[in-house]
Amino acid sequence: MNAFRLGLHRGAIELRQVLRTRKDLYAYLTTPVVFLGIGYWRAGGHKGEMTQLSLAGGIASTIVMFGLMTVPQFLFGDREDGTLLRLRGIPGAMTSYLTGKTLFVLVNLIASVVLLIVGGATLLGADLPSGPGQWLTLCWVVLLGIAAVVPMGAAIGAVLPAAREALALYMLPVMGLMFISGAFAPLRNLPSWVQDFASVFPLRWIAQGVRSALLPDAAKVLEPTGSWQLLSMMGVLAIWVVLGFLLAPQLLRRMTSRESGSRLSEREQKRVAKTAY
Amino acid sequence: MTVTADAVRMTDGTTYDLAIRTTGLRMRYGQRDVLDGMDLEVRRGELFALLGPNGAGKSTTIEILEGYRRRSAGDVEVLGRDPERGDPSWRARIGIVLQSSRDHGRWQVGDMLDHFARHYADPFDAAELMERVGLTAQAYQPLSTLSGGQRRRLDVAMGIVGRPELVFLDEPTTGFDPEARRDFHELIAELRNERGMTIVLTTHDMTEAQQLADRIGILQSGRLTALGTLEELAAAASARSEVRWTDEDGVTQRLLTADPSQTLWELHQQFNGPIPGIEVRRPTLEDTYLGMVGTDLPEGSETDLTAARTETS
Repeated sequence: MNAFRLGLHRGAIELRQVLRTRKDLYAYLTTPVVFLGIGYWRAGGHKGEMTQLSLAGGIASTIVMFGLMTVPQFLFGDREDGTLLRLRGIPGAMTSYLTGKTLFVLVNLIASVVLLIVGGATLLGADLPSGPGQWLTLCWVVLLGIAAVVPMGAAIGAVLPAAREALALYMLPVMGLMFISGAFAPLRNLPSWVQDFASVFPLRWIAQGVRSALLPDAAKVLEPTGSWQLLSMMGVLAIWVVLGFLLAPQLLRRMTSRESGSRLSEREQKRVAKTAY
Repeated sequence: MTVTADAVRMTDGTTYDLAIRTTGLRMRYGQRDVLDGMDLEVRRGELFALLGPNGAGKSTTIEILEGYRRRSAGDVEVLGRDPERGDPSWRARIGIVLQSSRDHGRWQVGDMLDHFARHYADPFDAAELMERVGLTAQAYQPLSTLSGGQRRRLDVAMGIVGRPELVFLDEPTTGFDPEARRDFHELIAELRNERGMTIVLTTHDMTEAQQLADRIGILQSGRLTALGTLEELAAAASARSEVRWTDEDGVTQRLLTADPSQTLWELHQQFNGPIPGIEVRRPTLEDTYLGMVGTDLPEGSETDLTAARTETS
Protein backbone atom coordinates (compact mmCIF):
# COMPACT_ATOMS: atom_id res chain seq x y z
CA MET A 1 0.00 0.00 0.00
CA ASN A 2 1.41 3.41 -0.71
CA ALA A 3 2.48 5.66 2.10
CA PHE A 4 -0.25 8.25 1.57
CA ARG A 5 -3.05 5.72 1.79
CA LEU A 6 -1.35 4.27 4.86
CA GLY A 7 -1.35 7.79 6.26
CA LEU A 8 -5.09 8.11 5.75
CA HIS A 9 -5.48 4.79 7.55
CA ARG A 10 -3.33 6.08 10.39
CA GLY A 11 -5.22 9.37 10.58
CA ALA A 12 -8.54 7.50 10.68
CA ILE A 13 -7.32 5.32 13.56
CA GLU A 14 -6.23 8.36 15.56
CA LEU A 15 -9.50 10.19 14.90
CA ARG A 16 -11.42 7.11 16.01
CA GLN A 17 -9.36 7.09 19.22
CA VAL A 18 -10.54 10.63 19.97
CA LEU A 19 -14.16 9.71 19.32
CA ARG A 20 -13.86 6.66 21.56
CA THR A 21 -12.16 8.46 24.44
CA ARG A 22 -14.55 10.74 26.28
CA LYS A 23 -11.73 12.73 27.89
CA ASP A 24 -10.15 13.50 24.51
CA LEU A 25 -13.44 14.40 22.99
CA TYR A 26 -14.13 16.89 25.77
CA ALA A 27 -10.64 18.32 25.43
CA TYR A 28 -11.11 18.95 21.72
CA LEU A 29 -14.59 20.39 22.25
CA THR A 30 -13.40 22.79 24.95
CA THR A 31 -11.89 25.30 22.52
CA PRO A 32 -15.02 25.91 20.41
CA VAL A 33 -17.21 25.92 23.52
CA VAL A 34 -14.99 28.51 25.22
CA PHE A 35 -15.03 30.73 22.13
CA LEU A 36 -18.80 30.42 21.86
CA GLY A 37 -18.98 31.44 25.53
CA ILE A 38 -16.79 34.46 24.85
CA GLY A 39 -19.05 35.38 21.93
CA TYR A 40 -22.11 35.20 24.15
CA TRP A 41 -20.51 37.19 26.94
CA ARG A 42 -19.14 39.93 24.66
CA ALA A 43 -22.49 40.45 22.96
CA GLY A 44 -24.20 40.65 26.33
CA GLY A 45 -26.89 38.24 25.18
CA HIS A 46 -27.91 40.47 22.25
CA LYS A 47 -27.84 39.22 18.72
CA GLY A 48 -25.76 41.12 16.29
CA GLU A 49 -22.43 42.06 14.92
CA MET A 50 -20.58 41.88 18.20
CA THR A 51 -21.26 38.12 18.26
CA GLN A 52 -19.97 37.68 14.71
CA LEU A 53 -16.91 39.75 15.56
CA SER A 54 -16.12 37.46 18.50
CA LEU A 55 -16.85 34.34 16.46
CA ALA A 56 -14.40 35.49 13.79
CA GLY A 57 -11.79 35.99 16.51
CA GLY A 58 -12.58 32.54 17.88
CA ILE A 59 -12.21 30.85 14.49
CA ALA A 60 -8.88 32.56 13.80
CA SER A 61 -7.59 31.86 17.31
CA THR A 62 -8.58 28.20 17.06
CA ILE A 63 -6.59 27.82 13.85
CA VAL A 64 -3.54 29.61 15.17
CA MET A 65 -3.55 27.92 18.57
CA PHE A 66 -3.90 24.50 17.00
CA GLY A 67 -1.21 25.11 14.37
CA LEU A 68 1.36 26.88 16.50
CA MET A 69 0.72 25.20 19.87
CA THR A 70 -0.99 21.83 19.51
CA VAL A 71 0.98 20.69 16.46
CA PRO A 72 4.39 21.35 18.11
CA GLN A 73 3.06 19.51 21.19
CA PHE A 74 2.14 16.50 19.04
CA LEU A 75 5.65 16.37 17.62
CA PHE A 76 7.26 16.95 20.98
CA GLY A 77 5.22 14.14 22.53
CA ASP A 78 5.80 11.74 19.65
CA ARG A 79 9.52 12.42 19.75
CA GLU A 80 9.90 12.00 23.48
CA ASP A 81 7.80 8.84 23.82
CA GLY A 82 9.71 7.10 21.03
CA THR A 83 6.97 7.15 18.40
CA LEU A 84 9.25 8.79 15.84
CA LEU A 85 12.02 6.34 16.60
CA ARG A 86 9.61 3.46 16.03
CA LEU A 87 8.60 4.99 12.69
CA ARG A 88 12.22 5.31 11.69
CA GLY A 89 12.61 1.55 11.61
CA ILE A 90 9.58 0.93 9.40
CA PRO A 91 9.68 1.55 5.64
CA GLY A 92 7.50 4.47 4.57
CA ALA A 93 6.21 5.02 8.08
CA MET A 94 7.44 8.62 8.31
CA THR A 95 5.45 9.68 5.25
CA SER A 96 2.37 7.86 6.47
CA TYR A 97 2.76 9.51 9.88
CA LEU A 98 2.86 13.00 8.38
CA THR A 99 -0.07 12.26 6.09
CA GLY A 100 -2.04 10.86 9.03
CA LYS A 101 -1.28 13.89 11.19
CA THR A 102 -2.30 16.22 8.37
CA LEU A 103 -5.63 14.44 8.08
CA PHE A 104 -6.07 14.51 11.84
CA VAL A 105 -5.32 18.23 12.08
CA LEU A 106 -7.52 19.14 9.11
CA VAL A 107 -10.52 17.18 10.38
CA ASN A 108 -10.09 18.61 13.85
CA LEU A 109 -9.78 22.21 12.68
CA ILE A 110 -12.58 22.03 10.16
CA ALA A 111 -14.86 20.40 12.73
CA SER A 112 -14.01 23.18 15.21
CA VAL A 113 -14.76 25.90 12.64
CA VAL A 114 -18.04 24.24 11.68
CA LEU A 115 -18.99 23.98 15.35
CA LEU A 116 -18.28 27.68 15.85
CA ILE A 117 -20.30 28.73 12.79
CA VAL A 118 -23.22 26.40 13.46
CA GLY A 119 -23.13 26.94 17.21
CA GLY A 120 -22.94 30.70 16.70
CA ALA A 121 -25.95 30.66 14.40
CA THR A 122 -28.13 28.32 16.45
CA LEU A 123 -27.17 29.21 20.01
CA LEU A 124 -26.15 32.85 19.74
CA GLY A 125 -28.28 33.88 16.80
CA ALA A 126 -25.25 35.07 14.81
CA ASP A 127 -25.70 35.69 11.09
CA LEU A 128 -24.18 33.20 8.67
CA PRO A 129 -22.06 34.52 5.79
CA SER A 130 -24.51 36.41 3.63
CA GLY A 131 -23.90 34.89 0.21
CA PRO A 132 -21.81 32.49 -1.87
CA GLY A 133 -19.05 35.10 -2.11
CA GLN A 134 -18.69 35.32 1.68
CA TRP A 135 -18.87 31.53 2.08
CA LEU A 136 -16.11 31.19 -0.48
CA THR A 137 -14.01 33.80 1.35
CA LEU A 138 -14.54 31.93 4.61
CA CYS A 139 -13.35 28.66 3.03
CA TRP A 140 -10.19 29.99 1.46
CA VAL A 141 -9.25 32.13 4.44
CA VAL A 142 -9.61 29.13 6.77
CA LEU A 143 -7.62 26.82 4.46
CA LEU A 144 -4.90 29.40 3.78
CA GLY A 145 -4.71 30.07 7.52
CA ILE A 146 -4.28 26.38 8.26
CA ALA A 147 -1.58 26.09 5.61
CA ALA A 148 0.19 29.11 7.13
CA VAL A 149 0.39 27.81 10.70
CA VAL A 150 0.42 23.98 10.61
CA PRO A 151 3.68 23.35 8.67
CA MET A 152 5.34 26.16 10.64
CA GLY A 153 4.12 24.56 13.85
CA ALA A 154 5.64 21.25 12.74
CA ALA A 155 8.95 22.99 12.02
CA ILE A 156 8.90 24.60 15.47
CA GLY A 157 8.04 21.28 17.11
CA ALA A 158 11.01 19.71 15.37
CA VAL A 159 13.50 22.16 16.87
CA LEU A 160 12.07 22.45 20.40
CA PRO A 161 14.61 21.19 22.93
CA ALA A 162 13.78 18.00 24.81
CA ALA A 163 13.13 19.78 28.12
CA ARG A 164 9.50 20.27 29.10
CA GLU A 165 10.26 23.86 30.13
CA ALA A 166 11.12 24.70 26.53
CA LEU A 167 7.60 23.83 25.47
CA ALA A 168 6.08 25.95 28.23
CA LEU A 169 8.40 28.86 27.49
CA TYR A 170 7.49 28.77 23.83
CA MET A 171 3.75 28.75 24.57
CA LEU A 172 3.77 32.10 26.40
CA PRO A 173 4.54 34.41 23.46
CA VAL A 174 2.08 32.52 21.26
CA MET A 175 -0.61 33.12 23.87
CA GLY A 176 0.48 36.74 23.90
CA LEU A 177 -0.41 37.03 20.21
CA MET A 178 -4.06 36.53 21.16
CA PHE A 179 -4.08 39.88 22.91
CA ILE A 180 -2.30 42.01 20.36
CA SER A 181 -3.73 40.69 17.10
CA GLY A 182 -7.14 42.28 17.21
CA ALA A 183 -8.89 38.94 17.41
CA PHE A 184 -11.32 40.12 20.08
CA ALA A 185 -10.79 43.87 20.38
CA PRO A 186 -10.35 46.26 17.45
CA LEU A 187 -6.74 46.41 16.37
CA ARG A 188 -6.88 50.11 15.64
CA ASN A 189 -7.24 50.89 19.36
CA LEU A 190 -3.72 49.55 19.91
CA PRO A 191 -0.53 51.63 19.46
CA SER A 192 0.68 51.51 15.88
CA TRP A 193 3.94 49.75 16.73
CA VAL A 194 1.92 46.94 18.33
CA GLN A 195 -0.21 46.81 15.18
CA ASP A 196 2.92 46.58 13.03
CA PHE A 197 4.38 43.85 15.23
CA ALA A 198 1.16 41.82 15.21
CA SER A 199 1.00 42.14 11.42
CA VAL A 200 4.08 39.95 11.07
CA PHE A 201 2.14 37.01 12.51
CA PRO A 202 -0.76 35.16 10.91
CA LEU A 203 -3.38 35.62 13.64
CA ARG A 204 -4.09 39.25 12.83
CA TRP A 205 -4.61 38.45 9.15
CA ILE A 206 -6.65 35.30 9.58
CA ALA A 207 -8.95 37.10 12.02
CA GLN A 208 -9.38 40.00 9.61
CA GLY A 209 -10.07 37.62 6.72
CA VAL A 210 -12.68 35.70 8.70
CA ARG A 211 -14.32 38.98 9.73
CA SER A 212 -14.60 39.91 6.05
CA ALA A 213 -16.57 36.69 5.55
CA LEU A 214 -18.81 36.91 8.61
CA LEU A 215 -19.59 40.63 8.86
CA PRO A 216 -21.40 42.94 6.46
CA ASP A 217 -19.11 44.81 4.11
CA ALA A 218 -19.79 48.09 5.94
CA ALA A 219 -17.98 46.75 9.02
CA LYS A 220 -14.66 47.26 7.25
CA VAL A 221 -14.55 50.83 8.55
CA LEU A 222 -13.54 49.34 11.91
CA GLU A 223 -10.38 47.81 10.43
CA PRO A 224 -7.08 49.71 10.82
CA THR A 225 -7.06 50.95 7.21
CA GLY A 226 -10.80 50.99 6.76
CA SER A 227 -10.64 48.11 4.31
CA TRP A 228 -10.44 44.29 4.48
CA GLN A 229 -6.91 44.26 3.00
CA LEU A 230 -7.43 40.79 1.53
CA LEU A 231 -4.39 41.15 -0.75
CA SER A 232 -2.04 42.02 2.11
CA MET A 233 -3.51 39.13 4.03
CA MET A 234 -2.82 36.74 1.18
CA GLY A 235 0.70 38.06 0.89
CA VAL A 236 1.64 37.68 4.56
CA LEU A 237 0.00 34.27 4.90
CA ALA A 238 1.61 33.10 1.66
CA ILE A 239 5.03 33.94 3.12
CA TRP A 240 4.20 31.81 6.16
CA VAL A 241 2.99 28.99 3.94
CA VAL A 242 6.18 29.03 1.87
CA LEU A 243 8.47 29.26 4.91
CA GLY A 244 6.60 26.47 6.66
CA PHE A 245 6.73 24.14 3.69
CA LEU A 246 10.43 24.93 3.15
CA LEU A 247 11.49 24.50 6.78
CA ALA A 248 9.26 21.70 8.03
CA PRO A 249 10.45 18.81 5.81
CA GLN A 250 14.12 19.58 6.44
CA LEU A 251 13.79 20.10 10.17
CA LEU A 252 11.62 17.00 10.54
CA ARG A 253 14.13 14.93 8.61
CA ARG A 254 16.97 16.27 10.72
CA MET A 255 15.05 15.52 13.90
CA THR A 256 14.23 11.91 12.98
CA SER A 257 17.67 11.13 11.63
CA ARG A 258 19.07 11.96 15.04
CA GLU A 259 16.78 9.65 16.96
CA SER A 260 18.19 6.46 18.40
CA GLY A 261 17.29 4.30 21.33
CA SER A 262 20.24 5.34 23.44
CA ARG A 263 19.73 9.07 22.79
CA LEU A 264 16.09 8.74 23.73
CA SER A 265 16.87 6.99 27.01
CA GLU A 266 19.61 9.54 27.78
CA ARG A 267 17.08 12.37 27.54
CA GLU A 268 14.57 10.39 29.53
CA GLN A 269 17.10 9.79 32.31
CA LYS A 270 17.90 13.49 32.41
CA ARG A 271 14.23 14.33 32.83
CA VAL A 272 13.78 11.71 35.52
CA ALA A 273 16.84 13.03 37.34
CA LYS A 274 15.40 16.54 37.20
CA THR A 275 12.01 15.62 38.57
CA ALA A 276 13.60 13.53 41.33
CA TYR A 277 14.58 16.68 43.20
CA MET B 1 15.05 -10.74 -3.51
CA THR B 2 18.78 -10.23 -3.71
CA VAL B 3 19.94 -13.06 -1.56
CA THR B 4 22.85 -13.97 -3.81
CA ALA B 5 24.23 -10.46 -3.67
CA ASP B 6 24.98 -10.98 0.00
CA ALA B 7 27.00 -14.13 -0.54
CA VAL B 8 30.62 -13.48 0.26
CA ARG B 9 33.39 -15.01 -1.74
CA MET B 10 36.28 -15.73 0.53
CA THR B 11 39.86 -15.48 -0.70
CA ASP B 12 40.08 -19.26 -0.82
CA GLY B 13 37.08 -19.41 -3.15
CA THR B 14 34.48 -20.69 -0.68
CA THR B 15 31.32 -18.66 -0.33
CA TYR B 16 28.84 -18.44 2.44
CA ASP B 17 25.98 -16.14 3.12
CA LEU B 18 26.65 -13.36 5.54
CA ALA B 19 23.93 -11.28 7.09
CA ILE B 20 26.37 -8.89 8.72
CA ARG B 21 30.00 -8.07 8.18
CA THR B 22 31.98 -5.32 9.86
CA THR B 23 35.65 -4.59 9.30
CA GLY B 24 37.56 -2.25 11.56
CA LEU B 25 34.35 -0.72 12.91
CA ARG B 26 35.22 2.26 15.04
CA MET B 27 33.06 4.67 16.99
CA ARG B 28 34.62 7.64 18.64
CA TYR B 29 32.95 10.16 20.92
CA GLY B 30 35.31 13.04 21.53
CA GLN B 31 38.55 11.46 22.71
CA ARG B 32 37.03 8.13 23.65
CA ASP B 33 36.74 5.08 21.41
CA VAL B 34 33.50 3.36 22.25
CA LEU B 35 34.19 0.80 19.56
CA ASP B 36 37.79 0.13 18.77
CA GLY B 37 38.12 -1.62 15.43
CA MET B 38 35.53 -4.36 15.55
CA ASP B 39 35.60 -7.22 13.05
CA LEU B 40 32.40 -9.20 13.11
CA GLU B 41 30.64 -11.66 10.86
CA VAL B 42 27.16 -13.00 11.37
CA ARG B 43 25.95 -15.73 9.03
CA ARG B 44 22.45 -16.03 7.67
CA GLY B 45 20.09 -18.09 9.76
CA GLU B 46 22.30 -17.75 12.80
CA LEU B 47 21.31 -16.61 16.26
CA PHE B 48 24.16 -14.42 17.37
CA ALA B 49 24.48 -13.00 20.86
CA LEU B 50 26.57 -9.94 21.58
CA LEU B 51 27.45 -10.37 25.21
CA GLY B 52 29.07 -7.83 27.44
CA PRO B 53 28.79 -5.75 30.57
CA ASN B 54 26.88 -2.46 30.56
CA GLY B 55 28.74 0.25 28.73
CA ALA B 56 30.80 -2.15 26.64
CA GLY B 57 29.41 -0.74 23.39
CA LYS B 58 26.66 -3.26 22.64
CA SER B 59 23.93 -0.72 21.98
CA THR B 60 26.26 1.45 19.93
CA THR B 61 27.12 -1.55 17.77
CA ILE B 62 23.48 -2.47 17.27
CA GLU B 63 22.51 1.10 16.46
CA ILE B 64 25.23 1.32 13.82
CA LEU B 65 24.07 -1.97 12.28
CA GLU B 66 20.45 -0.76 12.31
CA GLY B 67 21.46 2.41 10.48
CA TYR B 68 20.51 4.63 13.43
CA ARG B 69 24.00 5.90 14.10
CA ARG B 70 26.88 7.01 11.90
CA ARG B 71 30.12 5.21 12.56
CA SER B 72 33.46 7.02 12.80
CA ALA B 73 35.38 4.54 10.64
CA GLY B 74 35.37 1.05 9.21
CA ASP B 75 33.24 -0.90 6.75
CA VAL B 76 29.82 -2.24 7.59
CA GLU B 77 27.54 -4.38 5.49
CA VAL B 78 24.13 -5.51 6.67
CA LEU B 79 22.19 -7.69 4.22
CA GLY B 80 24.62 -6.57 1.56
CA ARG B 81 24.14 -2.86 2.19
CA ASP B 82 25.85 -0.10 4.08
CA PRO B 83 23.27 0.72 6.78
CA GLU B 84 24.01 4.45 6.42
CA ARG B 85 22.66 4.18 2.89
CA GLY B 86 19.78 1.84 3.61
CA ASP B 87 16.65 2.58 1.55
CA PRO B 88 13.06 1.56 2.39
CA SER B 89 13.40 -1.79 0.61
CA TRP B 90 16.43 -2.58 2.79
CA ARG B 91 14.57 -1.37 5.89
CA ALA B 92 11.72 -3.74 5.07
CA ARG B 93 14.08 -6.71 5.38
CA ILE B 94 15.16 -5.74 8.89
CA GLY B 95 13.24 -5.96 12.13
CA ILE B 96 14.16 -3.87 15.14
CA VAL B 97 13.23 -4.45 18.76
CA LEU B 98 14.44 -1.58 20.90
CA GLN B 99 15.56 -1.83 24.51
CA SER B 100 12.38 -0.30 25.87
CA SER B 101 9.40 1.47 24.43
CA ARG B 102 6.36 3.46 25.44
CA ASP B 103 5.30 4.87 22.08
CA HIS B 104 1.77 4.80 20.63
CA GLY B 105 0.34 4.53 24.13
CA ARG B 106 -3.17 5.34 22.96
CA TRP B 107 -3.21 2.77 20.18
CA GLN B 108 -4.87 -0.59 20.63
CA VAL B 109 -2.73 -3.68 20.21
CA GLY B 110 -4.73 -4.94 17.22
CA ASP B 111 -4.73 -1.57 15.41
CA MET B 112 -1.01 -1.21 15.99
CA LEU B 113 -0.02 -4.56 14.45
CA ASP B 114 -2.55 -4.32 11.65
CA HIS B 115 -1.58 -0.77 10.68
CA PHE B 116 2.16 -1.39 10.62
CA ALA B 117 1.79 -4.76 8.86
CA ARG B 118 0.42 -2.77 5.91
CA HIS B 119 3.81 -1.09 5.46
CA TYR B 120 5.33 -4.37 4.25
CA ALA B 121 4.94 -6.42 1.08
CA ASP B 122 4.52 -9.81 2.72
CA PRO B 123 3.69 -9.29 6.39
CA PHE B 124 2.50 -11.75 8.99
CA ASP B 125 -1.21 -11.71 9.66
CA ALA B 126 -1.80 -9.42 12.63
CA ALA B 127 -4.29 -11.74 14.32
CA GLU B 128 -2.00 -14.75 13.88
CA LEU B 129 0.93 -12.82 15.28
CA MET B 130 -1.08 -11.69 18.32
CA GLU B 131 -1.99 -15.30 18.93
CA ARG B 132 1.66 -16.36 18.71
CA VAL B 133 2.89 -13.77 21.22
CA GLY B 134 -0.10 -14.40 23.48
CA LEU B 135 -1.79 -11.01 23.17
CA THR B 136 -5.10 -12.02 21.59
CA ALA B 137 -6.94 -11.19 24.80
CA GLN B 138 -5.37 -7.71 24.75
CA ALA B 139 -6.29 -6.94 21.11
CA TYR B 140 -8.52 -4.01 22.06
CA GLN B 141 -6.41 -2.76 24.94
CA PRO B 142 -4.46 0.51 24.59
CA LEU B 143 -0.71 -0.04 24.65
CA SER B 144 -0.32 2.17 27.71
CA THR B 145 -2.27 -0.36 29.79
CA LEU B 146 -0.09 -3.38 28.94
CA SER B 147 2.17 -4.93 31.56
CA GLY B 148 5.92 -4.84 31.03
CA GLY B 149 6.04 -8.38 29.70
CA GLN B 150 3.05 -7.87 27.40
CA ARG B 151 4.57 -4.70 26.05
CA ARG B 152 7.83 -6.52 25.35
CA ARG B 153 6.01 -9.28 23.48
CA LEU B 154 4.20 -6.67 21.41
CA ASP B 155 7.58 -5.07 20.65
CA VAL B 156 8.83 -8.39 19.33
CA ALA B 157 5.66 -8.84 17.30
CA MET B 158 6.19 -5.33 15.88
CA GLY B 159 9.81 -6.20 15.12
CA ILE B 160 8.87 -9.24 13.04
CA VAL B 161 5.51 -8.19 11.59
CA GLY B 162 7.12 -7.47 8.21
CA ARG B 163 8.61 -10.98 8.01
CA PRO B 164 12.18 -9.64 8.16
CA GLU B 165 15.28 -11.63 7.22
CA LEU B 166 17.26 -10.16 10.08
CA VAL B 167 16.04 -9.15 13.53
CA PHE B 168 17.89 -7.03 16.10
CA LEU B 169 16.93 -7.41 19.73
CA ASP B 170 18.57 -5.03 22.18
CA GLU B 171 18.59 -6.44 25.73
CA PRO B 172 15.25 -8.16 25.15
CA THR B 173 14.66 -9.71 28.56
CA THR B 174 15.82 -6.99 30.93
CA GLY B 175 13.37 -6.85 33.82
CA PHE B 176 11.67 -10.18 33.06
CA ASP B 177 10.72 -12.71 35.69
CA PRO B 178 12.02 -16.24 35.07
CA GLU B 179 8.80 -17.48 33.52
CA ALA B 180 8.44 -14.56 31.14
CA ARG B 181 12.05 -15.05 30.22
CA ARG B 182 11.51 -18.72 29.40
CA ASP B 183 8.47 -17.94 27.23
CA PHE B 184 10.44 -15.28 25.49
CA HIS B 185 13.34 -17.61 24.78
CA GLU B 186 10.92 -20.12 23.27
CA LEU B 187 9.53 -17.45 20.99
CA ILE B 188 12.98 -16.38 19.83
CA ALA B 189 14.12 -19.96 19.24
CA GLU B 190 10.98 -20.64 17.22
CA LEU B 191 11.52 -17.60 15.02
CA ARG B 192 14.96 -18.83 14.17
CA ASN B 193 14.19 -22.50 13.77
CA GLU B 194 10.85 -22.34 11.99
CA ARG B 195 11.03 -19.04 10.18
CA GLY B 196 14.74 -19.14 9.41
CA MET B 197 15.34 -15.58 10.58
CA THR B 198 18.80 -14.33 11.40
CA ILE B 199 18.71 -12.96 14.91
CA VAL B 200 21.20 -10.69 16.62
CA LEU B 201 20.59 -9.98 20.27
CA THR B 202 22.54 -8.16 22.92
CA THR B 203 22.57 -9.22 26.51
CA HIS B 204 24.67 -8.85 29.63
CA ASP B 205 23.44 -12.20 30.85
CA MET B 206 25.75 -15.11 30.13
CA THR B 207 23.05 -17.70 30.81
CA GLU B 208 20.77 -16.13 28.24
CA ALA B 209 23.49 -16.13 25.60
CA GLN B 210 24.33 -19.72 26.45
CA GLN B 211 20.75 -20.87 26.15
CA LEU B 212 19.90 -19.14 22.90
CA ALA B 213 22.89 -18.40 20.76
CA ASP B 214 24.66 -20.39 18.08
CA ARG B 215 27.60 -18.07 18.39
CA ILE B 216 28.59 -15.55 21.01
CA GLY B 217 30.76 -12.50 20.76
CA ILE B 218 31.99 -11.02 23.99
CA LEU B 219 32.34 -7.26 23.87
CA GLN B 220 34.44 -5.47 26.42
CA SER B 221 35.45 -1.83 26.41
CA GLY B 222 34.72 -1.59 22.70
CA ARG B 223 36.55 -4.72 21.64
CA LEU B 224 35.45 -8.23 20.80
CA THR B 225 37.59 -10.17 23.23
CA ALA B 226 36.13 -13.55 22.31
CA LEU B 227 34.09 -14.86 19.42
CA GLY B 228 32.89 -18.34 18.67
CA THR B 229 30.39 -21.08 19.31
CA LEU B 230 29.54 -21.93 22.88
CA GLU B 231 31.78 -25.01 22.67
CA GLU B 232 34.71 -23.02 21.29
CA LEU B 233 34.41 -20.40 24.00
CA ALA B 234 34.05 -22.99 26.71
CA ALA B 235 37.08 -24.85 25.43
CA ALA B 236 39.09 -21.64 25.36
CA ALA B 237 37.93 -20.72 28.83
CA SER B 238 38.80 -24.09 30.35
CA ALA B 239 42.07 -24.37 28.46
CA ARG B 240 43.76 -23.02 31.56
CA SER B 241 43.10 -24.52 34.90
CA GLU B 242 43.44 -22.72 38.15
CA VAL B 243 45.66 -24.29 40.79
CA ARG B 244 45.34 -22.98 44.36
CA TRP B 245 47.39 -23.88 47.38
CA THR B 246 48.61 -22.42 50.65
CA ASP B 247 52.27 -21.41 50.77
CA GLU B 248 54.72 -21.58 53.65
CA ASP B 249 53.50 -18.25 55.06
CA GLY B 250 49.88 -19.45 55.05
CA VAL B 251 48.93 -17.24 52.09
CA THR B 252 46.66 -18.64 49.36
CA GLN B 253 48.39 -18.68 45.99
CA ARG B 254 46.78 -19.17 42.61
CA LEU B 255 48.24 -20.07 39.26
CA LEU B 256 46.62 -20.34 35.85
CA THR B 257 48.14 -23.06 33.77
CA ALA B 258 47.48 -25.12 30.66
CA ASP B 259 49.18 -28.11 32.27
CA PRO B 260 47.97 -28.50 35.87
CA SER B 261 49.57 -31.92 36.18
CA GLN B 262 53.03 -30.46 35.62
CA THR B 263 52.31 -27.69 38.15
CA LEU B 264 51.22 -30.18 40.75
CA TRP B 265 54.36 -32.22 40.18
CA GLU B 266 56.54 -29.16 40.62
CA LEU B 267 54.70 -28.04 43.73
CA HIS B 268 54.92 -31.51 45.15
CA GLN B 269 58.67 -31.43 44.82
CA GLN B 270 58.87 -27.92 46.23
CA PHE B 271 56.91 -28.90 49.34
CA ASN B 272 58.68 -32.20 49.50
CA GLY B 273 55.40 -33.92 50.16
CA PRO B 274 51.68 -33.11 50.32
CA ILE B 275 50.67 -29.64 49.14
CA PRO B 276 48.63 -27.74 51.74
CA GLY B 277 45.19 -26.49 50.63
CA ILE B 278 45.58 -27.90 47.13
CA GLU B 279 42.72 -27.26 44.72
CA VAL B 280 42.52 -27.62 40.92
CA ARG B 281 39.67 -26.09 38.94
CA ARG B 282 38.80 -25.90 35.29
CA PRO B 283 36.89 -22.63 34.94
CA THR B 284 33.61 -22.69 33.03
CA LEU B 285 32.76 -20.05 30.47
CA GLU B 286 30.51 -18.45 33.03
CA ASP B 287 33.32 -18.18 35.57
CA THR B 288 35.51 -16.53 33.03
CA TYR B 289 32.82 -14.12 31.89
CA LEU B 290 31.87 -13.17 35.42
CA GLY B 291 35.55 -12.64 36.18
CA MET B 292 35.79 -10.32 33.20
CA VAL B 293 32.68 -8.37 34.06
CA GLY B 294 33.55 -8.15 37.72
CA THR B 295 36.83 -6.38 37.17
CA ASP B 296 36.76 -2.75 36.22
CA LEU B 297 38.99 -2.58 33.26
CA PRO B 298 41.32 0.34 32.94
CA GLU B 299 41.36 2.01 29.52
CA GLY B 300 43.07 -0.12 26.90
CA SER B 301 43.76 -3.11 29.10
CA GLU B 302 43.35 -6.49 27.57
CA THR B 303 41.75 -9.48 29.19
CA ASP B 304 41.57 -11.98 26.41
CA LEU B 305 39.57 -15.02 27.18
CA THR B 306 41.89 -17.05 25.05
CA ALA B 307 45.03 -15.58 26.51
CA ALA B 308 44.38 -15.09 30.20
CA ARG B 309 47.68 -14.19 31.75
CA THR B 310 49.44 -16.56 34.05
CA GLU B 311 49.93 -15.26 37.51
CA THR B 312 52.86 -16.67 39.38
CA SER B 313 53.69 -16.09 42.95
